[in-house]
Amino acid sequence: MNPAQLLLFAVGGLSNAAYLFIVAAGLSLVFGALRVINMAHGSLYMIAAFVTVVVAEKLGLAFGFWGALVAALILTGVVGAVIEIVVLRRVYREEHLVQLLGTYALTLIIAGLVRIVFGPNYRTMRPPAIFSGSLSVAGFRYSVYSFVMIAAAILIAAGVYLMLYRTALGRNIRAAVSDSELLSASGVNVARLFTVVFVIGACLAALGGVIVAPSQAVGSSMDTDVLVLAFAISVIGGLGSIIGSLVGSVIVGEVYSFGLENSYTNQFALAFVFIIMAAVLIVRPWGLFGTPEQ
Amino acid sequence: MISLVRKPTGWLVLATAALLVAAACGGTSSTTGTTTFKGVKKIGISTAISGQSALYGHAISQAVNLAADDLNAKGGVNGYKIQADIQDDGTDVNKAVQNTQQLILQDNVAAMIGPVTSAQCTGTSPISRQNKVLFIAATCNSYQLTTEPDLINPYYVSIVPNTFMEGTSAGALVAKLSSVKKIFIVSPRYIFGISETNAFVAGLKKANPSGNYEFNDQSKWYVPFPTNPNWSSTINDIQAFKPDLVYSNIFAADQINFVKQALQVDPNFFKTYPMTTLSSVDELNTLGSSYPAGMHLYMRAPFFAIGNSRLDDFVKRYRARYNEYPSDWAVMDYDAVQVWAKAAAAAGTFDSDKVLKQIVGKSFQSLRGYTFTIRPGDQQANVGETVGTTGDSAGKYPFPVLTGVTNLKGDDILMPTTLMNELRDGKCEKGGDPKTTDFALCPSWKA
Repeated sequence: MNPAQLLLFAVGGLSNAAYLFIVAAGLSLVFGALRVINMAHGSLYMIAAFVTVVVAEKLGLAFGFWGALVAALILTGVVGAVIEIVVLRRVYREEHLVQLLGTYALTLIIAGLVRIVFGPNYRTMRPPAIFSGSLSVAGFRYSVYSFVMIAAAILIAAGVYLMLYRTALGRNIRAAVSDSELLSASGVNVARLFTVVFVIGACLAALGGVIVAPSQAVGSSMDTDVLVLAFAISVIGGLGSIIGSLVGSVIVGEVYSFGLENSYTNQFALAFVFIIMAAVLIVRPWGLFGTPEQ
Repeated sequence: MISLVRKPTGWLVLATAALLVAAACGGTSSTTGTTTFKGVKKIGISTAISGQSALYGHAISQAVNLAADDLNAKGGVNGYKIQADIQDDGTDVNKAVQNTQQLILQDNVAAMIGPVTSAQCTGTSPISRQNKVLFIAATCNSYQLTTEPDLINPYYVSIVPNTFMEGTSAGALVAKLSSVKKIFIVSPRYIFGISETNAFVAGLKKANPSGNYEFNDQSKWYVPFPTNPNWSSTINDIQAFKPDLVYSNIFAADQINFVKQALQVDPNFFKTYPMTTLSSVDELNTLGSSYPAGMHLYMRAPFFAIGNSRLDDFVKRYRARYNEYPSDWAVMDYDAVQVWAKAAAAAGTFDSDKVLKQIVGKSFQSLRGYTFTIRPGDQQANVGETVGTTGDSAGKYPFPVLTGVTNLKGDDILMPTTLMNELRDGKCEKGGDPKTTDFALCPSWKA
């Protein structure tokens, strides 16, 4: 493989990693603060993707994507708030199995509702005009939108970092992770804080859905597809670690990209992702950037 | 380091198990109606209402319901109201097996209409054999289902062109393109993809023995199925290989994502790398005007290319009821129900053995505009295939249609019975291993 081909497949892997990171970051953030693995996270991603396609269709190519971005974030944020208030608050103190079953039930309900509201067929849309087109580098063509996805993921990673380490909200979130009861005793409304965290997680899922919609067919099975990979990324990187999600998504994206390209590993490209996940669980159960159980 | 974890590890096994359940599960649906009949007889169908092949299962379920209603409007079959018992398999083999067991053992269906993919058919056909329930395949089509001793099911009937018919036809078509010497193959890694791709290569080489074709590395012909929705690796591989032609039999969500992403990499991608691929109205309709012009498609039953008065009426009624155009799968699965109903009526019973006798060797009128016959032996119908090049529909449809259409006749593409028998007798494989099957090894293929 020459350097030009190496770059080609590396960029392919990064574009794959980009949307997976955005989704996995939300999953990880929610777990870190609320200690809930949200099985409905992929459903929120799917809702946002469908909303994006529908709104973009209504508003037209010029402004549709941006209108869709706003609409998807608002709607998914509201759905996230409702889920946290109506379902999760009732199961925080329950066993983990109850929490998992509760959020899993939500995935089934949302999947059914999505089929009723948006229909069973796949929907497609084009990238906004400003992000359309392709460019040629060293004899190979690249989609401009794949670079947009990568840039968006970097911006979102920086945004989440700044939110956690440069804002009062982030300070409270980190305090809640350490000791939510102490935080509550200091006068912070922890219940409301948890709702805010969940809404942020939902909005990250929504961002993933919005960003992926112009590059993939939007269908009613995309919730499970993304959740499985986002979960693998979170386990590899460390559940609760945003940097872990970033590194994990790059590993998954590149392993898949180069794995498919190589004739010896082609058959096992996707399996490698889960082999790595299993290896991390064996060697470092808290993930590459996670924190071991106290 | 950003780390928000307090106790991260205790949940992982539980969550993994829940994820697996999530991946395996799907919903259910069935039809009900008024009863002015002796009773109700159900036809069972486990199909992909969700998952990778949901696009096809949706159309199939609608067509089967329409077929049942059409039968009931004419008094049902043998005085019984016909009801479609439709279960979602989520494009998952295990779920398809579970559904089929439920349909046969609990719901007592009179017959089964086959699932979407050959993987599901491979898993469910043995259940029909074991329980002696008729199984009519109208979408899944791997020829191995009728030639491999372990898979042969006397109750299995195919009314869809099988992978041999499709693959060799596609190969023969590509062989006519004199400028094509370098071919990139992309195919789903499971029985259908492997079967059809092998038939394509064999058909190509037979049609043009002096072709001296160069293919991409065989170990990379196949992609995981169902796959990751990001196709950048394959698209990049094509760019690196620079073929004269891309041959594919990826379908449904995979084809949509592949085409969409390839066009984002280069709007002229399919002009630079022309593609011959299996397709259907569903892919055309989903991508609409984005579906590239100039693609060489082979299709099983595109309504716009095989118009006849009966099909036109079906399209009209289908659209009136569902506000959609019927896909190839809808046309063929409607045919499947009609085949079963006609045979059951001729038999005067729903007993599978007696109904089967009214199917094998008999002829049936198809929505596809011709009469097909289920030949004894592999119980494969001599159904045709439609080939052509995508072009503008001139506003008639919201998607491109085929131009330069050729409707290949079933008799011309059917697997020769000699070849079928050689495959069944293991004469086309090395060391008795069915995985090594190669048409080039069959004595009659060489002749």
